[in-house]
Amino acid sequence: MRPVAVVGAGMTPFAEHFDLGMKDLLPRAVGEALASVEKGIDRSELQAAWFGELTTSDGFPSGLLADSCGLLDIPVTRVENACATGNDAVRNAFFAVASGYIDVALVVGADKVRETSARSTFWDWMAMTRDMAWDYPLGLVAPANFALHAARYLHESPATREHMAMVAVKNHHNAVTNPKAHLRFEITVEQVLNAPTVVAPFGLYDCTPQSDGAAALVLAAADVADRYTSTPVWVRGVGLGLDRVMHQHKRDMTTFPATVKAAKQAFAMAGLGPQDMSVAEVHDCFSAVELISYEDLGFCERFGAAKLVEAGETTLTGRLPVNPSGGLKAKGHPPGATGVAQCVEIAEQLWGRAANQVDGARHGLAHNIGGPTAVSAVTVLSTEQS
Amino acid sequence: MTGHLASVATHLPVWGAQEARVAGPDEDALTLAVAAGRAAMAAAPDVRVERVVLVTRDLPVLEGGSTAVLLAGLDLPPATLASEVLGGAVAALDQLGDARPGTLVIGADVTFGAGAGAALAGAGGLAVTPLGRRDASLPTHVRDAGGVVTDYDDARLLRDRGVLAGIAALALTDAPDAVAGLARKDAAAVAKAAPALPTTGASAPFFAIAAGSRVLVAVDQAAVSAASLTGAAPFVAHAPSARPLPKRKPGAPVDLAIALPAYERAFSAKLGFKAGRCPACGTLALPPRHRCLECGDESGQELTALPRDGEVYTVVTIHVPVPGLATPYSLAIVELGDTGVRALVHVTDDEPGAVAIGDRGEMLFRLVAVRSGVRDYGYAFAPARAAAEAAA
Repeated sequence: MRPVAVVGAGMTPFAEHFDLGMKDLLPRAVGEALASVEKGIDRSELQAAWFGELTTSDGFPSGLLADSCGLLDIPVTRVENACATGNDAVRNAFFAVASGYIDVALVVGADKVRETSARSTFWDWMAMTRDMAWDYPLGLVAPANFALHAARYLHESPATREHMAMVAVKNHHNAVTNPKAHLRFEITVEQVLNAPTVVAPFGLYDCTPQSDGAAALVLAAADVADRYTSTPVWVRGVGLGLDRVMHQHKRDMTTFPATVKAAKQAFAMAGLGPQDMSVAEVHDCFSAVELISYEDLGFCERFGAAKLVEAGETTLTGRLPVNPSGGLKAKGHPPGATGVAQCVEIAEQLWGRAANQVDGARHGLAHNIGGPTAVSAVTVLSTEQS
Repeated sequence: MTGHLASVATHLPVWGAQEARVAGPDEDALTLAVAAGRAAMAAAPDVRVERVVLVTRDLPVLEGGSTAVLLAGLDLPPATLASEVLGGAVAALDQLGDARPGTLVIGADVTFGAGAGAALAGAGGLAVTPLGRRDASLPTHVRDAGGVVTDYDDARLLRDRGVLAGIAALALTDAPDAVAGLARKDAAAVAKAAPALPTTGASAPFFAIAAGSRVLVAVDQAAVSAASLTGAAPFVAHAPSARPLPKRKPGAPVDLAIALPAYERAFSAKLGFKAGRCPACGTLALPPRHRCLECGDESGQELTALPRDGEVYTVVTIHVPVPGLATPYSLAIVELGDTGVRALVHVTDDEPGAVAIGDRGEMLFRLVAVRSGVRDYGYAFAPARAAAEAAA
């Protein structure tokens, strides 16, 4: 396999885009990604595209991307892998370029969660992710899906609801200065703890909003990257891990084995480890998921997440800033776009032009965990080719 | 003919007032019948059940497989004869007096006092000997096929020309000591010391028998039936302290999807609470599956009964409004007995949010959801608090 670089990155703001349909969001994200290419690129230079979309809004996804973005003459593949869709789309495009099949690839992720009513989303998503006979009728709504893990994690680890709240407070703080973020306001630990309960132990501020948005990346082979940029960001590692789909079959619910597997693959490919990361975008659809993921990604020892947030090590000024963009919690979470947008954020960090820039960032990581907590994708990006 | 009862069981839901129970949202005539039926069967383990007769006027559906649900919940083979008898206290007492050995008679009520009773007929035990019956038409209360109720509001007419005239026509040698099918004050007009019964429908005779009646009259408007009771049988009562139904917000109306092929594939294991057992390594899987969770064997799992006691591994309570579901509700993952098998289920018979990790309890046959008109049954976890009160 040959080295692959990110040479362009862009995204729409994440928000309730009631005024924009899928066909409006896609060209905006693609246009921004193309415009970000330092030495310029014409869309005719794109040789194939991978499109991550979890739901289906306004019809046939691959065709919508090709049609709405003027890409009718290249192959487009739709990728769907639950909430790991975005990073898995990156992974698939990476393989096409790394293998030599093409030199330049487009990766797009998008979703319009708010195209259906806020409540009906529950059953739509349960129909996508639950066993129809055994689990669907129980009403295991998305927050409950993760709360089952969080409740057990709080039971076994030293972490408390206060530690969960600290994650939410941190990510809201970061979003305030990110113009692309959905929830741009500060919150306090007290507000998080006193907010209405969604699914115990999650209050309103422990939960991601329902967002619409799109994000895009341009990937290029090392052989041609110079044509597009003098500062390529290298895709050093990709990983995808799975787990049992039914919660009843997950022996230890204080961890996400899918993340452990995805991270192991991505770090091994990158020749890097968690200790090398300067910045990370970690899946924080619910506050406790960020805590558990610190441990699964190797940022701290098992049950060490509480100490990590207490010490402020994952704040913007800490040893390893996590979710400088605001994360899913405050930047927002249109699932197909989420992983791609994480890579947009990490690429901008490595280019030194992120909204909340981490000084001297060299290596960064993007992480998704999703579906019935049964799939995870991890991408490791770096300023260094090897 | 005389029916000989090898066991008698009564069952009351935990909700409502002490003397007037109501069914919880996950209970209906079938779940109540299963609870009472299982208790009666457990109290007479040597009697093989050959047929089941469910007497009720509160059938949850008139068509759509209720007997299969009943047999699965009772863990009886699908070959067992099963009938639904539309009737109240009279029909239930008639069935008891006519029960051949091997017959499980169940009476279940939801509308006017929720509860159920069951008795398993055997070769000996408590003898139920019919003393006579009289059917008569004085329809002061009419419920049509669509469930629409019309009441002819004249209690004295019913008492004098229906109940008392009917009992007089039976010319009983011994005065009745209990009346099944009437509210307490009306029963006193027939038998002064009649015990208060928690229900007035098909389950009422079982509660009267449990109260020690020797000459029992059953009443269903103007229809009356009487039987003498001699001898004794093992008796089991589930009578927890009543609690008011927790206040919950109903979900916005929504028609939940059902995949009937998936329903049918899961039916035996889901309603019978059975796991698949790997023939190679013995690992149990809930739900049963083609490929073993542990060793990967694919040679075919057989269904095996799971233990019904368990401990909460994790539990959450959903407060956010969910269309089609009343909130809040609790969902738990429960580890069953010492099998290592876990089930994801609703928490029942307790206030939402009251159950914690490590709590112990039992799995109960309950209604899980109604989807596209189909009643979807399965199991729910009741914490030991409810079970302990039942034993007390």
